[in-house]
Amino acid sequence: MAGVTFDAATRVYPGSDTPAVADLDLQIEDGEFLVLVGPSGCGKSTSLRMLAGLEAVDDGRILVGDRDVTHVSPKDRDIAMVFQNYALYPHMSVGDNMGFALRISGVGTDEIARRVAEAAKILDLEPYLDRRPKSLSGGQRQRVAMGRAIVRRPRVFLMDEPLSNLDAKLRVQTRTEIAALQRRLGVTTVYVTHDQVEAMTMGDRVAVLKDGVLQQAGTPRELYDRPVNAFVAGFIGSPAMNLLEFGAEDGGVRFGGATVPVERSVLAAHPRLLLGVRPEDLEVGDRGLPVEVDVVEELGADAYVYGHAVLDGGPANVVARVRGRSLPAKGALLRVAPRPGSTHLFAVGDGARLG
Amino acid sequence: MATVIGKARVEEPAAAPVKAPRRKHAGIQSHYPFWFYLPAGVVYAVLFLVPTFIAFYFSLTRWGLFSQEFIGLDNFRQFFNEPGLLQGLKNSLIYGVITSALKVVLGLLLAVLLTSQIIARGWLRSVIFFPVLVSTIGVGITFTILMNPQQGLINKTLEVFGIHGPGWLTNPSLAIYSVALVDVWKGVGLATVIYIAGIVSIPRDYFEAAEMDGATAFERFRHIILPLARPATVTVIILSLIGGLRSFDLIWAMTGGGPGFSSDVIASVIYKQYQAGFYGLSTAGNVILFFAVTLIVLPIFWALNRKQVDM
Ligand SMILES: Nc1ncnc2c1ncn2[C@@H]1O[C@H](COP(=O)(O)OP(=O)(O)O)[C@@H](O)[C@H]1O
Ligand SMILES: [Mg+2]
Repeated sequence: MAGVTFDAATRVYPGSDTPAVADLDLQIEDGEFLVLVGPSGCGKSTSLRMLAGLEAVDDGRILVGDRDVTHVSPKDRDIAMVFQNYALYPHMSVGDNMGFALRISGVGTDEIARRVAEAAKILDLEPYLDRRPKSLSGGQRQRVAMGRAIVRRPRVFLMDEPLSNLDAKLRVQTRTEIAALQRRLGVTTVYVTHDQVEAMTMGDRVAVLKDGVLQQAGTPRELYDRPVNAFVAGFIGSPAMNLLEFGAEDGGVRFGGATVPVERSVLAAHPRLLLGVRPEDLEVGDRGLPVEVDVVEELGADAYVYGHAVLDGGPANVVARVRGRSLPAKGALLRVAPRPGSTHLFAVGDGARLG
Repeated sequence: MATVIGKARVEEPAAAPVKAPRRKHAGIQSHYPFWFYLPAGVVYAVLFLVPTFIAFYFSLTRWGLFSQEFIGLDNFRQFFNEPGLLQGLKNSLIYGVITSALKVVLGLLLAVLLTSQIIARGWLRSVIFFPVLVSTIGVGITFTILMNPQQGLINKTLEVFGIHGPGWLTNPSLAIYSVALVDVWKGVGLATVIYIAGIVSIPRDYFEAAEMDGATAFERFRHIILPLARPATVTVIILSLIGGLRSFDLIWAMTGGGPGFSSDVIASVIYKQYQAGFYGLSTAGNVILFFAVTLIVLPIFWALNRKQVDM
């Protein structure tokens, strides 16, 4: 097993003048579960395929352990990949699919059978070894794809949206199973998803990509508590963080009746500011920003109130979490203010975190 | 994984049973009202059904332009007593098998080449298809000249390397093979195009998965292309076998069935009977050829299609 290093790795597809992945710097520890997350088209798959060796690296380097594999062919990288559509060979049985890599590399039949049986046991696939992939359900196929990777005992696992073809219920279950399996095997894993919930629940660390550029890498908690810019702030967390634009005033920004204090130096440099506050950090009271309720989403223990407020820059949507059983009605007017110390400040232009 | 977590697995409904009964009419349902099919049905009946049955009928008669006389199975009896028949049948089989086999092998190899990342790929693809488009008779005459034992370009070229070329079309034991080679040259473009379509339709994932699994280029050919291009192989085998078994024009243009009767095939035997005015007899020959081709091709088709995989 080994860690993985992206060292300023860049990929520019032929015929395109903007890189699909630009100057990616990322260090993945040995045995770590790292999730690459970002909106569709942000370069997640490209990054993963560069690591796999399926995509050329135009600039920079990629290391597995201490070894520079930038120009090494995929088969010599000792990396296994689970494809989004599983890519199970349709003309081979489940067992042959799982044993294919070993057979290619000249491992003896007994050893192959032993390792396939072992993986099948872990993955609950024992009754299906003689079947063709076509006759399996989606979840079973997904497990065969996992099995094909496990059997090889590679140094790194790569998974590209492996759960996207499963229905919602199975996806949640398989999510925990994959995470548990990874902890048990202890193999360095890079996992790609566009779903921030998957990212937050599965990863030891999460790396957020946007337009081919790494925005932030850190533990789920770090990303949630201290997003480095407005994009990460809005991407991580559901419902998303409220991002509201205010003009700087004496001592801070005026959040309706309440004042959110801001450092003097920040106020001096930024006449306008993006204030970020998570729905659970908004409190309903008798001071604060007036919000007209549009929709109330009841979840049992608590509820999310979706409404709109009028700021000096125009109308803005606001989401707040409210507890208890007496919920506001649609059209009601609430006053909300952030809990002290729970706010995030970002620059209006590039969205960079301030302070 | 359930064992890892130790909680009950939510299993999806209906993991298909081991032997799912194959649906016979999957998706083929009548989408149009009956009258919509009528024009095609009429064309089919007039141009295909009627002539077929008329042919069956005429094979039981002695007929000319102005007269016909029902004579039962006499034509068939006479056809089976035709002295050149056995030789013709043998040659038809040789010709069919050789052209079919070579088209499969060469077509597949050329398709692999022409689906790889080579320069001028589109241009090369059209070049290989070009011989398919030109006239068979023209090709036949051209190659007859090229294969002339003394003056032909082929033997003259061989001469340069000190090889004394054979009489390609004048040697009775060689003639049918020489024509078969020309047939392959002319027809391999079609096989290649069919294979290219087959290979291109294999999802790229499989190649990438195989590459990750450590398969070399040859192993990817052996374990991915070969099995997954199987529908193309079936098509090429069946098409070229049918074409080969009933082949006539190229042979007629190049050897006329000679030297002697050494390169006669069933179709040329039948043609000679037409020329001699035995219309009923040659119609009977065509009916026999029809059944012979069906008898040979159909079992092969079934056998090949039995192990189909869906991608
Ligand atoms: N083979 C390719 N050729 C050209 N552009 C590509 C290719 N694959 C992906 N791209 C482009 O690169 C960008 C990143 O793609 P990708 O890595 O697949 O995104 P993601 O997996 O995050 O959705 C996209 O803008 C996409 O259009
Ligand atoms: Mg992708």
